[in-house]
Amino acid sequence: MSPFDGVSPEQFIADFMTSFTDEIVRGEEDPGPIVDRYYTPDMIQIADGVRIDRDKLIAHIRPVRKNLTHYRLEVHEALASGNRIAARFTLHGQMRKKAVATEVHFFGELAADGRMSRAHQLTRALPTGQGGQGGQPAPGKEEA
Amino acid sequence: MSQSTYTVSGMVCGHCAGFVTEEIERVAGVTAVAVDVESGVVTVTSDRDLDAEDVRAAVEEAGYELVRA
Repeated sequence: MSPFDGVSPEQFIADFMTSFTDEIVRGEEDPGPIVDRYYTPDMIQIADGVRIDRDKLIAHIRPVRKNLTHYRLEVHEALASGNRIAARFTLHGQMRKKAVATEVHFFGELAADGRMSRAHQLTRALPTGQGGQGGQPAPGKEEA
Repeated sequence: MSQSTYTVSGMVCGHCAGFVTEEIERVAGVTAVAVDVESGVVTVTSDRDLDAEDVRAAVEEAGYELVRA
């Protein structure tokens, strides 16, 4: 059974990224269980050459919670084959009161239960206006 | 001229490096900050000896954690 059954690749990656980010910034739940709902324990993500394992991803949640106040995901295209997915999307956000936009070229591999086990991505920053609002308010965050 | 190295956890990308650099540069006496995201090592150059607690406070203000000073 494919983890994409009944869901388009575009919708899958949009739902995955948006839901994970929502859970990170929404509340004060321990980051470990959040990561474990979306990634397998042996997950590895290579982002712009930087290797991120479960411990590093968990450590990254604290600063994201503090710094990210708005975000919006725009999926440009996505393809799926077997348990793998490739997607190109832009993450619009507001971090430390500055608008940021990052285009992401993403390859991922999913476990049978739909969790991400491997991801490899290259990113590039897109120009934005300083101080603008880069996305929707994060749940539980007040307007900056 | 003094140079100190610290280890910061939670950094995974250029945005992270930028936030940590921005806050440490505010510490009095700091003249340069270099970040290696992969290892988490932050090298701080200053014109005086720095109080590690000032650097820790700057790192925490950026949202990250200083794990070794």
